[in-house]
Amino acid sequence: MKRFAFFPGCLIPARHPAMEFAIRETLPKLDIELVDLEGASCCPDPIYFKSKDKLSWLAVAARNLCLAEELGVDLVTNCSGCTATLSETYHMLHDDPDVKDQVNQRLAKIGKTYKGTSKIRHIATVVRDEAGYEKIRNSVTHPLVGLKVAIHYGCHLLKPSKIMNVDNPDDPSVLENLIRALGAEPVRHRNWYLCCGKACQNEDIPNNMMHDLLGSVHDEQADVLGMICPTCFGQFDHGQMKIAKLFEEDFHTPPVYYFQLLALAQGVPYDQLGFQKQRFKPTVLQQFEEAAAPPA
Amino acid sequence: MTKRQNEDDIVRVDFGFKRLLAETVEGDLANFCYQCGACVGDCPAATYSEEFNPREIMLKVLYGLEDELLGPDSVIWECTNCYACHERCPQQVKPVEIVISLKNMLAARGDAPDVVNRVIHTFETTGRTVPYSPAIDKQRAKFGLPPMGEVPMDEIQALLEPATEGEAT
Repeated sequence: MKRFAFFPGCLIPARHPAMEFAIRETLPKLDIELVDLEGASCCPDPIYFKSKDKLSWLAVAARNLCLAEELGVDLVTNCSGCTATLSETYHMLHDDPDVKDQVNQRLAKIGKTYKGTSKIRHIATVVRDEAGYEKIRNSVTHPLVGLKVAIHYGCHLLKPSKIMNVDNPDDPSVLENLIRALGAEPVRHRNWYLCCGKACQNEDIPNNMMHDLLGSVHDEQADVLGMICPTCFGQFDHGQMKIAKLFEEDFHTPPVYYFQLLALAQGVPYDQLGFQKQRFKPTVLQQFEEAAAPPA
Repeated sequence: MTKRQNEDDIVRVDFGFKRLLAETVEGDLANFCYQCGACVGDCPAATYSEEFNPREIMLKVLYGLEDELLGPDSVIWECTNCYACHERCPQQVKPVEIVISLKNMLAARGDAPDVVNRVIHTFETTGRTVPYSPAIDKQRAKFGLPPMGEVPMDEIQALLEPATEGEAT
């Protein structure tokens, strides 16, 4: 059993507890143990609070990293935004001794020192590298055969690649392979690389971008949109209603967070996975509940 | 003899503004920009907006055109923070970091958009970006999850203050 400090962030535990439930349900089956981080704060977010003051942003992020260092383990994140903040902090403090010194002066006020001994791992890389696709496949009791899952990586999981260290941002494969391990078919639609636009303060940009993205997913006749980031999820669930109204075009593509899909494939019943809370409900998944287990 | 240039055609570099920008974390990277435009092709905001162009923003930064960069309704808030320019830049300028440094300068003047200020305020007062409510713990309980953990706000607030008076930000 490999141990990691679990950094759930704000969005998943507060707005999408079903996602956290799915993570806590699925990881033990892959021999990954999560240890809770007492006293963790917001990462802080790489969009809003980073806009206020980068040095304060780094100091608070470094405090969160100190909590994992105190436990002597690496830290696992489930939100692309948290991954971005914490990974950038790790790299910035490693590359710039002056900034590290300033951050440590602030941390000294609360009796902490950032050392840089705990690495930041996104949950997708933890299941890929610690468990492996084969182990994930073996944990599946209800394979999602025939399900077409359009992929949406979002931005911060992959870029900047030197900092995130997850996959090649021009030709990634981790999400496709994770979906394949469930027996489902990943679909790389023509707008797969687009951003969800959440950070942009001019609404026209995300509206048009999301409309184009949903259109290309629709053209491929994908059943659901496979998500790995809770911010993107919000854009494509709640936000999809706005797009449908604005463009008078209802693509009706339910977004699904990857670990809820994994939980379903591992045999957790549809009704326990919180899908009924979504604006666009992935009812297509209900058929897999009764599916027979694959032959041993 | 070559004709002397019209004074009005000359762009004067505002080094004072550039020095202020350089004081922000990674704000000093801007000077490595050689205006190649690699940041433009993958930029979602540039693709979907006529007015947002990261190369042009970088050019204005090189000249130090403060009024155009930090004026009212600054175009920098259209950045989607996707980090494609950071990925593409052959000079490691990290254009998105320069944009965020400019946002830091606007925030310091109290000129951030309301929606941004609201999230910042929530973080500074609760340590989280999603405001806590008892309904959250009720929802969590339905999934057998424990209540949201406490954030020691005294520690967070101490970290938001400079350690020394002269600390660069």
